[in-house]
Amino acid sequence: MISSLLVFVILTSCNRQPAGSEIVTLRFWNGFTGPDGRTMLALVKKFNESHPKINVVMQRMDWGTYYNKLYVAGLGGRSPQVFVIHTDSLLRFRRANLLRNVDELFGTNGLDADDFDEGVRKGTEDAGKHYGVPLDIHMLGMFYNKALFRDAGIVDSNGEAKPPTNRAEFLDALRKLKRDTNNDGRPEQWGFTFTWHRTNCFAILSQFGGEFFNPDRTHCTLDSPANRVGMQFCADLIGKEKLAPSPENFDAWIGFRQGKVGIVLEGIYQLPDLLKQHGLEYGAAPVPILGEKAVTWANSHNLCLRPNLSAEELDASKTFIKFLSDNSLDWAAAGQVPVRKSLRGSDRFAAMTVQRAFARQIPYARYMPSVPFTNEYLEKYEFALERILRGSATPEDALREASVAIDQIIARYQAADDVKGAAE
Amino acid sequence: MTVRPRKVQLSGYLFLLPYLTLFAVFLLLPLIFGLWLSVTKYELLSAKPARFIGLDNFREALADPYFWKSLGATSLFVGLATPLTVTGALIIAALIHALPEKRQSVYRLAIFIPTILTVTVVGILWRWFYSGNFGMFNGYLERWGFARVPWIESTTLAMPSIVLMTFWWTVGSPMVILLAGLKQIPSVYHEAAAIDGATGFRRFISITLPLLRPVLLFVIVVNVIGAFQVFGQTFIVTKGGPERSTRVLVQYIYETAFQSYRLGYGAAMSWLLFVVIAVFSIVQFRFMRER
Repeated sequence: MISSLLVFVILTSCNRQPAGSEIVTLRFWNGFTGPDGRTMLALVKKFNESHPKINVVMQRMDWGTYYNKLYVAGLGGRSPQVFVIHTDSLLRFRRANLLRNVDELFGTNGLDADDFDEGVRKGTEDAGKHYGVPLDIHMLGMFYNKALFRDAGIVDSNGEAKPPTNRAEFLDALRKLKRDTNNDGRPEQWGFTFTWHRTNCFAILSQFGGEFFNPDRTHCTLDSPANRVGMQFCADLIGKEKLAPSPENFDAWIGFRQGKVGIVLEGIYQLPDLLKQHGLEYGAAPVPILGEKAVTWANSHNLCLRPNLSAEELDASKTFIKFLSDNSLDWAAAGQVPVRKSLRGSDRFAAMTVQRAFARQIPYARYMPSVPFTNEYLEKYEFALERILRGSATPEDALREASVAIDQIIARYQAADDVKGAAE
Repeated sequence: MTVRPRKVQLSGYLFLLPYLTLFAVFLLLPLIFGLWLSVTKYELLSAKPARFIGLDNFREALADPYFWKSLGATSLFVGLATPLTVTGALIIAALIHALPEKRQSVYRLAIFIPTILTVTVVGILWRWFYSGNFGMFNGYLERWGFARVPWIESTTLAMPSIVLMTFWWTVGSPMVILLAGLKQIPSVYHEAAAIDGATGFRRFISITLPLLRPVLLFVIVVNVIGAFQVFGQTFIVTKGGPERSTRVLVQYIYETAFQSYRLGYGAAMSWLLFVVIAVFSIVQFRFMRER
C-alpha cells in the first residue's frame, strides 16, 4: 500500500513548466476541499483574468492526503511553486528544508509587515526568518443558540441572549439550558457539548496555564499540575456536574445545528454550515474565560514557496501571494478572519458579525506547538483526552501516560538527529 | 496436448502485455519496493537516505503493543464480519433462489445497491445513523420508547456496529456470486432427493452445500482477505476509537507510514499482515479442498 502510493506519486509528479515560455505557470496546492475551495478557486480565476502573463493552476485535496503528498513531492524536488501550510505544521516542513524564506516578499512594493498581527507572523518564524505569508487566522470561538438562551432566561437588560464570559456565567448558563422534561435522566437539550476535543481542550488547558512542552521542546509537560486541573474541569462537566453529554468528538456539532445544544466551542470555519442553515438563530462570541486567563486555540493558513524557484517563478509567486493577501476579505467571507489589520478596519469586515466577534480574540489567540513530530504527539494527546472525557481514566493517569509516550517519541527523534549529525 | 506454433504463443503474450505492464508497474514493483523498505530505516522526517537495518523493523513490530492491539482489533473484525457476511449472503441467496425467476431481480438489485456506494458515503451516512445523542437510530429508538444504544461510543459495541454497517454495505457481492452458484446446481439432484422423501433443509445440507463448496470457498477466502484489510469503515466512522478499540492494523500502518512518516516500519508491518493473510488463505484452501 505504502509503496504503491510512493511509486504513484513519483510517476505522477512532474514539472510541466515549459522552458522559455512567456506565460509563467504556477502550480498552487492546498487542502481547501469544502466551500472554502470554491472561494479560493474564484480568487484564482480572478487573478488569472487580471494577470495574463501568469497562469495559476490550483489543485486541492483533503488535508490528510495533502500533507503526505506535499511532503513526498518536496523530498523529490517536485513541490508546487506555491502551497498552503498550517502554522502548526510549518516547522515540520521547514526542518526538512522544503520551504523558502519569504522575507523578501515584505518591504517596498511588497507586503507591509506591520499590517500583519505580530503573533500571527511570529508563528511562521524559525531562527529569525519567516517561511510563510499568513492568509488568515481561524480561531476557536463560542457559537450559541440565541433562542435557547432566551427560553432559559439568559438575557441582558434588553431581553437579548447574553453569552457567558467567565466560568461562573458559563456554568450557570449550562444549568439553565439543560432540559430533561420527562426526568428520565436522558436530557433532550444540553447547555454545552465538547466537539473537537483537540481544540476545545487545548483552549481550556491553555486558559489554566497549561503547556505541552518545556521551552526547548525536549520534554513533554502534559502531566503538569495546570493541565491536570484543566482536564479535571473538563471531565467534571461530564462526570460530576452532568452538564455535558458523553463526548462524541466532531459529530456533536450536529447537536448544535439541530438546536439541541446551547453552546459549542468551534472554529470559525464552521460558519459556512450555519450560513446555509435556515431557522437556527445563532450568535458568536469569544470563548469564555473558564480557567485563569483568556486564551483560545488558533491556526492559520500560510502561503509558502518551495526553495528552488526560477527568477520568473519567484516574481510571479510574489505577485500571486500579494494578490491573495490583498483580497483576503473575499476569503474571510467564507468563514475566516483576515490577518491584515487594514482589512479588518474596513466597512466590509465590520458587516461580518461572526468574524468580527472571533477577531476580538486575536490578541490572546494561541497556536498549538509546532514540532516536527506533530502528528505523533497529537495522537497520544487526543487518546488521553478521550479517556479522560469518557471517564475511563483520571486526568493524572491519562496525562502521565501520554507524557511518557510523547517523551519516547522525542527521544526517537533526538536519536535520529544524532545519527544524522554523526553522518554529516 | 498439442504444441502451438511460436507465432500463436507470441500473440498470446502480446495480448497479455498491457495487463502485465500495469501489473508490473503498479503491483510487482511496489511489492518489491515495499520489501526493500521493510528492511530499511527510512523516516521521511529525518530527510536523509534510507539505510539497511536487516530485520530490526520486524523485531520492533513483534515487540510493539500497539501492533498486537491493532492486530487484535482486525482479528475481531474478521471473526465477526466474515461468518456474518458469508452466512447472511448464503441465506439471502437461498431465499432469493427459492422465489419465482421473475421476482428475483428486484430483490437481487435491492440487496446489491449499497455495494455500489463508496466507503466514504457509507461511512459518513452511518456515522450519523449511529451518533449517540443526535443520531437517527437512537432518535427512532427513543421515539418508540427504547433506551439509547451507545453504538459507536462503547468500546465493546463499536466493532460490532462497524461489522453491521459493513454487512449492509458488502453483502450484495457474495450474495450475487452464491446465487449464481446455486443456479449452477442441476435440479435433478433435488428432484431425486425429494422423491426419496428428503426435506428442504436436508436437501440444502446434503446437496446444495457440498455442490456449492467451490463457490463458497472462493467467497470465504475473498471475504477473509478483504476483512483483514479493513480500514475505510473504521477510519471514517470511529477514527479507530473509542479508545483505540477499532483501530485496526491497516490504520496503524497508515498512521505509522503517513503520519509519523516511518516508511520502513510501516512496510514491515504491511508484510507481517501479508503473512497473516497468506497463512489464513492457505489454511482455508486446504481445509475446504481436502474434505
